Amino acid sequence: MTATILKTTGLNVVYPTPTGQFKAVNDVDLELRSGEIVGLIGESGSGKTSLALGLLALARHPGKVSGHIDFQGRDLLSLDTDELREIRGRSIGLITQKPRQSLNPFQNVGTQIGRVYRAHVKASKSEANDHAIELLENVGINDAPRRIRAYPHELSGGMAQRALISMALSAQPELLVADEPTSGLDVTIQAQFLDRMWKRAEETGTAVLLVTQDLGIVANYCDRVLVIENGRLVEDAPTRDFFANPRDAYSKRVLALAGERAVAETADAGATTAEPLLRIENLRKTFKLDDGKILSAVSDVSLTVMQGQSLGLVGESGSGKTTVGRLILRLLDADEGSIWFRDTELTSMKTREFRDFRSKIQVVFQDPFDSLNPRWSVEKAIAEPIDLHMKMSKDEKRLRITELLEQVGLPESIRTVKPAGLSAGQQQRVCLARALSTNPDFLVLDEPTSALPPVARVEMIALLKDLRERLGLSFIFISHDLSTVRELCQDVAVMYLSQIVEMGPTSKVFAHPEHPYTQALLDSVLFHDPLSRRVDREHRGALVGEIPSPVDLPKGCYLAGRCPFAEEKCRQEPQLLEFTEPGHLVRCWKAVGGVLNVVDSEA
Amino acid sequence: MTIPQAPPVEGEHPLENLANEKLKTKRWFHDPLLVVGIVIVGVAIFLAAFGEAIAPYDPTVPVGPPSVPPSSAHWFGTDTSGLDVFSRVISAPRIDVTLAVSAALLSGIFGTLIGLMAGFYRGVFSSLVMRISDVLQAFPVFILAMVLVALSGRNLTNLIFALTFLYTPIFIRLTRAEVLTQRERSYVEAARAAGNSDFKIALKHVLPNSLTPSLIQLSVTVGFGILLTAGLSFVGAGVRPPNPEWGLMIANSAPQLVLGEWWTSLFPGIAVSLTVVGFAALSNAIERRVATS
Repeated sequence: MTATILKTTGLNVVYPTPTGQFKAVNDVDLELRSGEIVGLIGESGSGKTSLALGLLALARHPGKVSGHIDFQGRDLLSLDTDELREIRGRSIGLITQKPRQSLNPFQNVGTQIGRVYRAHVKASKSEANDHAIELLENVGINDAPRRIRAYPHELSGGMAQRALISMALSAQPELLVADEPTSGLDVTIQAQFLDRMWKRAEETGTAVLLVTQDLGIVANYCDRVLVIENGRLVEDAPTRDFFANPRDAYSKRVLALAGERAVAETADAGATTAEPLLRIENLRKTFKLDDGKILSAVSDVSLTVMQGQSLGLVGESGSGKTTVGRLILRLLDADEGSIWFRDTELTSMKTREFRDFRSKIQVVFQDPFDSLNPRWSVEKAIAEPIDLHMKMSKDEKRLRITELLEQVGLPESIRTVKPAGLSAGQQQRVCLARALSTNPDFLVLDEPTSALPPVARVEMIALLKDLRERLGLSFIFISHDLSTVRELCQDVAVMYLSQIVEMGPTSKVFAHPEHPYTQALLDSVLFHDPLSRRVDREHRGALVGEIPSPVDLPKGCYLAGRCPFAEEKCRQEPQLLEFTEPGHLVRCWKAVGGVLNVVDSEA
Repeated sequence: MTIPQAPPVEGEHPLENLANEKLKTKRWFHDPLLVVGIVIVGVAIFLAAFGEAIAPYDPTVPVGPPSVPPSSAHWFGTDTSGLDVFSRVISAPRIDVTLAVSAALLSGIFGTLIGLMAGFYRGVFSSLVMRISDVLQAFPVFILAMVLVALSGRNLTNLIFALTFLYTPIFIRLTRAEVLTQRERSYVEAARAAGNSDFKIALKHVLPNSLTPSLIQLSVTVGFGILLTAGLSFVGAGVRPPNPEWGLMIANSAPQLVLGEWWTSLFPGIAVSLTVVGFAALSNAIERRVATS
């Protein structure tokens, strides 16, 4: 058995409130051993973050930490501030959520990393600088000597997160506490980061406490799972046992929901005789930036959604998928191309004309709270499109709202509640009810599940599936979550840097991804199965780096800079979207020519 | 057929819920600043309506011997013309408060509407409005007010318009800033996708959500308005004598200070200060409430 690094007995984190003491962490005993990655899961508000901070003897004001924290033979809670400061950062590293906000905007990242190092290790400024470069290189940042002079606002989210990690690791701590370090990162970046962290624990024996809501991360990277509920630790089990046989109610519920999804079959391809409902042809949209540069958000996108069918549009942030949705809704006007809705061309319609047309195409946005007027009750929000488009008497309207609330699974009593009084899941259901209120023919669902906590997300997907079957809805589902698309959509289009790189029936694309980017995306998905972990798998063609800026697009294939199979021809020649088999389009000459896998096996 | 039910309200972080409860349980009247604000503003408004009626003497007619120090007959004494200082001090809000409140309301309404348009339709109009506001705000308020009154003539209506003109840019700026953040939120886009016209979106969605800063500013502006009215009258550019007005009273009696006749300027001075502080306190207390809830 490996050495114990940190052990708590009866750890409490208590916040005083007018009505008494609120115990965010209640009598927790836990043990972290070297080289071990421990996952800490629980619902929002269960005390995850309080516990993570508590391990460093920290609590948000006005909280107090009490109990015993035995860290390498010393009780952290009996140390004075100076001694604690020596241990924090030096022996226990902390990675917080929201990387960009955790960095000092007035200092470049090199200085910030160097400061942590110099606070704990005797080193000159230039030594600290060299150390910072080395650390950034270790977390996979290209061109580190230049990057350390960058200020936080000049970094992407993924980059900022890695700078923060470098900072946490700079004094080589024995314990790393990471609080949802990958929330908000794209899947390929998340996989890169977690792979690296896993390797580090393996190599240097660093113990890691990983706070997360994502069971996929737990299954793939953690050795042990802790479950916290209302401040109490209710489960402490090896990952495999946890997934095989969870003991407490919360774990069972979460795993049951996850299990349901695992067995759910891929959405079937519907009737092939269906009429095309929405047809997009050669759509193009550019934005002019302040410095005069042109940003291509969408270039040459064509796709079709059949009546009663659903299309998943997937891609990482910055791929242009959201812009496509907004072009369909005419929230933006396209530069070129056409959008046919049955026999009507939308891009040439006058604004006023289109306003009446909007009842046929409705939308659900990503952030449910932000997309509801904070001053309007549920009833008023849902009634707005009805008032605008349908002539209904008061009684008819009441009945219609009742019907809509029932359809989205909300209780009648919620009518008069304002958005702030609802959970995120309920808010999103209200948004869905509002979108359905005018009986639209088509919905644009712009990441409707990604801002929701895990349980609400699963419920939302079940609801969408149910509605699709009952109402025969047609929709375009924009998402970066591949497993959701797989469940909900018959067809899928994968976007990368403003282009569609692969498109076809979901079953075909997921079973035989042809484009290197699709392969990498699928490879980054973390399945809820501790028996087939990503870290144990052989990685075919992992992408390097992150999505480049869509301002100066490369001449040849847009993926060439990150693609492990790229060669000179890829960098020189623009790629065309071509059929590899009926219905399955791919934008990669190697995949189309069948030479992609040849290179792969040689490599 | 089973419909997946939404889970019960989870709320945000339990600490935030506790914080909200704390606010709810803490009664409004436990905030001393708010109590002070409401009492003073209440008295000021009451006196604006009934001050003259409850005054012991006619405030514009000599009622006793001149320059009498405070006594039981004349609580605040009399001035050099034999006017009762107490009656004048409690009658003055009819002019000072009414004028300041009307000017604040008018500038609030104009400023908010112009600010809404300037924030909602960015472009030439917006830039033009903001540049004009810049120029207006760059002038010293007092001097500009004097110029305006001098140009339009010294009467109550003109004073109100001058003050309105001066205070409108503040409301334009505040509203525009708020509109700029509100218009980027998804609910505005959702309203457009629902089929609202721009006009409806601005009025139904953006305006109600952009009012908070202006509402807070309103009370401060009343305070400043009183101060400015008194100041203008003090230099002779405001209300004409013998109307009861605090600034005018101070101006008339200031020369008597050296003769030891302190009561004629001290009491109106205290009245001005208290009223301004009262309106500022109210505004502050409201701001604190809004910021924490």
